[in-house]
Amino acid sequence: MQTKENIMKKNSFFEGINKFVNAMGVWLVVVLFFVILSLTTDTFLSYANLINVVRQICVNALVALGTAYVILGGEIDLSTGNMCAFTGCGTALLMVAGVNMWIAIIIMLIVGSLIGALTGLIVTFLRIPSFIASLGMSYVILGATLLLTNSEPISGLPQSFMTFGRGYIADVVPVPVIILFIFFAIGAFFLKYTSFGRSVISVGENPVAARLSGIDVLLTKILIFAIGGFTASAAGIVLASRLSSGQPMAAGDVGLTAIAAVFVGGTEKGSAMNVLAGAFVLGLVNNGLNLLEVNAYWQKVALGLIIILAVLLDQIRASRAVSVKKK
Amino acid sequence: MQGDGNILVLKQVCKEFPGVKALNNVDFSLRKGEVHALVGENGAGKSTLMKILSGAYAKDNGTIEFDGKEVEIPSPKASEKLGIAIIYQELNLINRISVAENVFLGRAPKKNGVIHWKKMYKDAKELFNSFDINIDVSKFARDFSIAQQQIIEIIKAVSINAKVVIMDEPTSSLTENETQILFKIIRSLKAKGISIIFITHRLDEIFEISDRLTVLRDGCYIGTKDVKDITKSELIKMMIGRELKQQFPQRNVQIGDECFRVEHISDDNKVKDVSFCVHKGEVLGFAGLVGAGRTETMRLIFGADKKTKGKVFISNKEVQIKRPKQSVGEKVGFVTENRKEEGLFLKLPVKNNIVSVAIDKIKTLKVLDFKKEKAFCEKYITDLRIHTPSINQSVVFLSGGNQQKVVLAKWLFSDSEVMILDEPTRGIDVGAKREIFEIINQLAAQGKAIIFISSEMEEILGVSDRIIVMHEGKISGEVMKKDFSEQVITEYAFGGA
Repeated sequence: MQTKENIMKKNSFFEGINKFVNAMGVWLVVVLFFVILSLTTDTFLSYANLINVVRQICVNALVALGTAYVILGGEIDLSTGNMCAFTGCGTALLMVAGVNMWIAIIIMLIVGSLIGALTGLIVTFLRIPSFIASLGMSYVILGATLLLTNSEPISGLPQSFMTFGRGYIADVVPVPVIILFIFFAIGAFFLKYTSFGRSVISVGENPVAARLSGIDVLLTKILIFAIGGFTASAAGIVLASRLSSGQPMAAGDVGLTAIAAVFVGGTEKGSAMNVLAGAFVLGLVNNGLNLLEVNAYWQKVALGLIIILAVLLDQIRASRAVSVKKK
Repeated sequence: MQGDGNILVLKQVCKEFPGVKALNNVDFSLRKGEVHALVGENGAGKSTLMKILSGAYAKDNGTIEFDGKEVEIPSPKASEKLGIAIIYQELNLINRISVAENVFLGRAPKKNGVIHWKKMYKDAKELFNSFDINIDVSKFARDFSIAQQQIIEIIKAVSINAKVVIMDEPTSSLTENETQILFKIIRSLKAKGISIIFITHRLDEIFEISDRLTVLRDGCYIGTKDVKDITKSELIKMMIGRELKQQFPQRNVQIGDECFRVEHISDDNKVKDVSFCVHKGEVLGFAGLVGAGRTETMRLIFGADKKTKGKVFISNKEVQIKRPKQSVGEKVGFVTENRKEEGLFLKLPVKNNIVSVAIDKIKTLKVLDFKKEKAFCEKYITDLRIHTPSINQSVVFLSGGNQQKVVLAKWLFSDSEVMILDEPTRGIDVGAKREIFEIINQLAAQGKAIIFISSEMEEILGVSDRIIVMHEGKISGEVMKKDFSEQVITEYAFGGA
């Protein structure tokens, strides 16, 4: 018995280290990148550059937040990139047509959420795998955007609209950062402190057991897609504001980057803050490679490899944690 | 062609799994051209023996002689090469290719390096004709009924030059008519000198089709008899008759009023018109063979699957249960038989698992209160003696017994008044089993109604107040505590004597 207790103690020591690494995990990487970039470049620490980085991260991180709900719930949403462009253009079109800015924003947030919910309905009731359902929806949304805009940018937006992407509070803190902060505060709260958050994680871990435990699996799945649509719409509006126009092709690979951010952040813990860290890692890599004047094409290669490496490291850490506990 | 020669002789075959002797010095011989039934209760060792013959398991000890020569069967390929074919309960045909392709899978006739389709269809046709079967061999396998698919599999096996065909409960999903067609095939195989090992839970079929039978019990060889020399009740006696070794904790509970009743539950498939009731403080055992429809019945009651008929009453009031969520609301709990697949969130911490059903109980002003969660979880960890370093440990790292206790805690936390426990002791060690029985006693003492499914005879006799026995989707008998005996339960489990 004595030895067994000793082993338990030893294990709990390892667990302690593991816990620390687990808790800090991706944030450690963020700090590491931050230090490296500060030392290797002259420009990184400049105010202008930092603000630029943060603003770039905002759109990705917002999309990633909703995507995290979808992924934690055991599904995937490939349509968020096109959703960004769609709501950005939609809001722009409404405002150009004379609709009040706030009403335009609210309408598009609702529309984006409903489209997300529709993807969820296709996944749950028609039983189409989410990979395919969201891929299909992605094209539908892209097509709708092109039809509405005639593939041309929508400009001539009211000046007040630019605040969301370019404004500052007290001339120091960018407005998108505030938006990001509010979204993540709410997103993290729901995930951690409500039964809905628990349901999402349970459904993602084992939908069969979730159903037999009385959890409404179908509703949970529909809601996570709605949340994915909602945050992608918010991101789209911020993006349109930053670009001062609705750009049909602006979003590019935002949706995929968001998925990458979620996985780089690590899904194991089910924490919204890790997702934010994941988005920061990708943003810093992007910015750092720019500052280091790495060829743009090589940047893409590097980004891809970093995504794979990050998830690989996460898996190694997880399996090490398992082997420590099993001993 | 019934010769004296043996095609297959097993001597002193042993197989041990951690903690259990699945086969203990088993002898078995199979004559050329005979149908030999292999009989025994759940866990008697039939499947293990079959898996050794098919090369899926390696024997620990003993010898196998095939056609007079001692052989080893290290792999399924080796088994096939010897001429042993196994027809499993689950069919192994590939659905979306033709019957002919299935039959000639991996050995299709070729011409100039490509498949010679014409010859393949012609050969297949002739093969089936030689058994007096007339089917369209170019149709997809999935277009045939289960019985037909089974026959296709048998004929495929024979065409690969099988000398011994092992059939594992081939009739379990067949109608009476289809069974007769299968028997016709078996007889024609026999006439061709092929030997058949026939595993079934239907005793009548043994007497209809078999020449000899061998009984296994708890991994031991009990005996081999000519079918014409034995009666059904003698056979049942051979199958049971072990001593009760395990001790069960005593329970002194006054059984109260009826609190749960189901009437005429059916799904038009595996469950046929099941009605029963259970009282407060009562442990109602559900016995039967594996596949008798006990789990399916409970899934219908719980709303996990859709029932086509039937009503559920709680305290004499009819309740509508179409989804598990409604069952949870009616305070019915269901500890499923596969805890890893259906009961637990393996990667999630103990605490998430325990509060998953009754999560509302840990809320303060609509927000999860982690202090409450911790207090509740620690209470259950102490009460049920769950061995875990903390409430944050992922359940995947716990032992089977502790995992099962977490599942029980989940339903206890939800204040279930009716607890359905489906094989709650499966795959856990003796000590943990006893603890589970003690928990069952505590629940009964609290006035909860318990439905206890178990395929272990000792356990169900030791724990239940009353036992309902199911056979092929129907209730075949109900036994009161004073009448408990293995003989009675086994007779009912095999459909009544």
